[in-house]
Amino acid sequence: MVKRDVPFPLYDVDILSASDGQLEQISAEMSLALSLEEMKVIRDYFRSEGRNPTDVELQSLGQAWSEHCCYKSSKPILKEFVFGIDRGDVLSRGDAGVMVFDDDYGYALRIESHNHPSAIEPYGGAATGIGGILRDVVCMGAQPIGLADPLCFGPIDREGELPPGIKHPRYLVSGVVSGIRDYGNRVGIPTITGGFFFDEKYTGNCLVNVACLGIVKRKDLARNYAGGPGEVMILIGGRTGRDGIHGVNFASADLTATSDEDSRGAVQLGDPITKEPVMHACFEVNARHLITGMKDLGGGGLSCVVGEMALDAGCGADVDLEKVPLKEPGLAPWEIWVSESQERMMCTCKPENVQAVLEIFELWDVLATPIAKTTDLKRTRLFWNGEPIFDMDLEFLTGGPVYNRPYTAPEPSSKAAEKFPELPSDREVILSLLSDMNVASKEWAIRQYDHEVRAGTAVHPLVGEMNRAGPGDASVLMPVPGRMKGLAAAIGCNPWFTEADPYRGGMACIDETCRNIVAVGARPNAFTDCLNFGNPEKPERLGEFREAVRGLGEIARELGIPIPSGNVSLYNEAPGGHHILPTPMILGCGLIDDVRKAVTADFKRLGSVIFLVGATKDEMGASLLFRKYGGVQGAVPGVDIPGLKRKMDSLLRAMDERIVLSCHDCSDGGIAVAVAEMCISGGIGAEIDLGGIDLPDVRRKLYSESCSRWIAEVDGKDVIRFTEIMGSDAIPIGITKGDCLRIKDNGTSVPLEDMVKAWNSPMWKVMGGASE
Amino acid sequence: MRAEDVKVCVIRIEGTNCEDEMANAFEMVGAQAEKVHLKQLIGQAPAGFRRSLEDYDVLAFPGGFSAGDYVRAGAIFAARIKAGMGGEVKRFVEEGKPVLGVCNGFQILVELGLLPAIDEVMSDSPTAALYTNDSGRFECRPTVLRNESRGKCAFNSLIPRGKLLAIPSAHAEGKLMSMDPDFVSKLEDNDQIAFRYVRPDGSGADYPWNPNGSPSDIAGICNPAGNVMGMMPHPERVMTRFTHSDWTRGYDSEVGDGRIIFESVMKYLEKK
Repeated sequence: MVKRDVPFPLYDVDILSASDGQLEQISAEMSLALSLEEMKVIRDYFRSEGRNPTDVELQSLGQAWSEHCCYKSSKPILKEFVFGIDRGDVLSRGDAGVMVFDDDYGYALRIESHNHPSAIEPYGGAATGIGGILRDVVCMGAQPIGLADPLCFGPIDREGELPPGIKHPRYLVSGVVSGIRDYGNRVGIPTITGGFFFDEKYTGNCLVNVACLGIVKRKDLARNYAGGPGEVMILIGGRTGRDGIHGVNFASADLTATSDEDSRGAVQLGDPITKEPVMHACFEVNARHLITGMKDLGGGGLSCVVGEMALDAGCGADVDLEKVPLKEPGLAPWEIWVSESQERMMCTCKPENVQAVLEIFELWDVLATPIAKTTDLKRTRLFWNGEPIFDMDLEFLTGGPVYNRPYTAPEPSSKAAEKFPELPSDREVILSLLSDMNVASKEWAIRQYDHEVRAGTAVHPLVGEMNRAGPGDASVLMPVPGRMKGLAAAIGCNPWFTEADPYRGGMACIDETCRNIVAVGARPNAFTDCLNFGNPEKPERLGEFREAVRGLGEIARELGIPIPSGNVSLYNEAPGGHHILPTPMILGCGLIDDVRKAVTADFKRLGSVIFLVGATKDEMGASLLFRKYGGVQGAVPGVDIPGLKRKMDSLLRAMDERIVLSCHDCSDGGIAVAVAEMCISGGIGAEIDLGGIDLPDVRRKLYSESCSRWIAEVDGKDVIRFTEIMGSDAIPIGITKGDCLRIKDNGTSVPLEDMVKAWNSPMWKVMGGASE
Repeated sequence: MRAEDVKVCVIRIEGTNCEDEMANAFEMVGAQAEKVHLKQLIGQAPAGFRRSLEDYDVLAFPGGFSAGDYVRAGAIFAARIKAGMGGEVKRFVEEGKPVLGVCNGFQILVELGLLPAIDEVMSDSPTAALYTNDSGRFECRPTVLRNESRGKCAFNSLIPRGKLLAIPSAHAEGKLMSMDPDFVSKLEDNDQIAFRYVRPDGSGADYPWNPNGSPSDIAGICNPAGNVMGMMPHPERVMTRFTHSDWTRGYDSEVGDGRIIFESVMKYLEKK
């Protein structure tokens, strides 16, 4: 590296004459995370340019070509299975997907991961995750209306030694929930749904996925790129500092025992009170149509946003890098260019509108600085007080490599090798499943999140009588004040299925999402997916990824439901190569024309008829029961897609006719847990008889987790009509009665009070605080 | 005064975040509501953006985390108002114009000295404070309020005495405390207690029905004149039945329990 003779830190890096070993050394010393092959391609490029690169140029390539930014391992698989599921009501596939909500409005949806930062610094990592996903929605011109945070951790009651460099799951949960709470509550966007998944395999690498929904007038839908050459790029919001440097590279490698010390600088600092006025001001300049495009600064910072906003408009950009407002003096140009400091956005506008745009930001006390111009040359050029420091072809810079890496398809769990576990009494099993941390009440977290701010929450995350806090399936928002149309949102994911049979597991995640949405009376409309997997350079891990993506792509395509946005997070591996459960996290959105027809999962009254919708099969593989009691293998639930479609249609029809009093999806713990949860939230008992299910064994009937099933409560007077609509897809399995869950097949009786206690208290006990 | 002539100033700074639903709530009862940044009221905005407080009939402080609540909830917003337009706010109150503070807005009114203001219109320094909840956590949950006003409070004028309203809470600092040992009895004597937390059957609240541990279960208070009211729970979140947490269990009316508070102040203004 040769320091250039200029009054600021700038180096020309000699790669033209570098040997292979030296190229590798340069990549390592500059923390570029580029492979030798990639470095050689870069050397060839600069040979054709006839000069050596600057440190700024190499750093920029390190960002743009990271797995996080260019999806180099996942893109071919995504292309094969999930891209291109199209429908006429997809309005945009920009930084967030945007779908038609009604004639006037669109709704935005996006999910992404903030896993590695949260593993190092749970509070800041989670908070900035929220900040980033909000910006993705804001830059579509959409007002964020709801947040969703599915999280995966090791067991919070874990005892024994932790691997070196790993933080205790309880500490991580506490920090992550506080981070989401403090950021989400402060910006005033309700956290309406989410999920907790606990498993030892997440101990070394927790997952923090964050999702956001937004609403936008269709005429105000923003683009994420410039309008053409000759426009001004205005940098908005926070100042740029040394926080969050190399975040994308950190996210594109496995965690190590020393990640904490090595990579803390890669974790950004969040500031919701800067974000809040940034959002207001962005909406105002957008609604006044003063800007041509808007994009958030996320991974890769300026280095990614400038090129993408220009290239997508068929332009290039000239940047005066010294104009970027800094947190502290003395940052090198490359640091400014790749910093991922938070709360920043970029907008483009015509030169004549610059003044008006700056005035609005000034009113909100939001920093806004013109730093670049779009050009008709497809190159990005950087200047520091006039000195050229960067000049690269945009297509080369943002193109990035693509790899068809080797994979091996995993052997799925099978019925043939199944070993059914020894079980205690069903009373004991039911109470123990209810108190499993993956099933038990998450009230401890849910009530720390403001889930009602913006006054649009129609179906809340906790259902039942006031303060009773029963488990809901999906939350429903009324995004447009004065309109009764609702937007439902729910998470679906079963990482245990996905581990045991990635293809079926991928399908089951979508099936569960649909079940949750339909359970509240909404029709599934779109998905956004966050694909959290291990190291793609290991064939077994990539095989899991490929099979899971194949499964979820196939079902989404056959259902005709688009996935207009998503995110891939690979390299989720802990020190020692311990990989996470393969975790395709799905957020689904559904529409309901009239929220007054929404249904919740709490049993409403005594004496109603309880129906089971959907077929229960001998599918015990990776079930909660098997995981809890040591069952081995077994078939993972598959999805009969036409059957799922048919059942959704008929159940929604019955709900539209208002003859379904309550409805709950049947998932972890099977029929037993689903009915128990409806008893808990409704405060009444049930008497069930599973004689109508065609299986030889009561326990398989009770605990099988077959897909596409719901429990529905129907008033006696509506039973004939309900049966007419549902046909053979629904069978009566009992009535609401008394204050116990009674299973007539084997005489089991579990008092409601015991179930409430078993379900309510586990998380409170570990995390502290009083449950009711 | 006719409802459509009522102009509401929904005041905000950075971190205020319940202004949209506060403005909607006033518009649902027929008023015109405008969301106004503090800078627009104190001459720190370009000409076309400037506003004057005296042009409004109601001043509403929405919930949120103004300026991040990093010093003490509401303290920074209150300090900026005192410095920039303290006199105008005091005159507004003296003219009998209604002022509403919800959640962070309540905290701001207390920091401003407009509440409880037991012996005056606006005390120089705060005489009460909204402390951290007993649970030590942010609590987002349903709460039930009983109307305690004997007739003085402008925001309770249409609510029958003793009537229960389900109005949700969402805050981390809602425990109303004062150094004055006779604080509660003075408020009672002055008819300054607007709402108390109760259980759904109307009996005395304990946690979680009183979500913060506020002494004497106080949820909202007004000033001695009755035109300034602050409350921790959020009436603007329950203008319709369908944002209550339990409406799927059955309901008699599509009107939400919060609406009557906004109708009450409109009724109060009608007489002016």
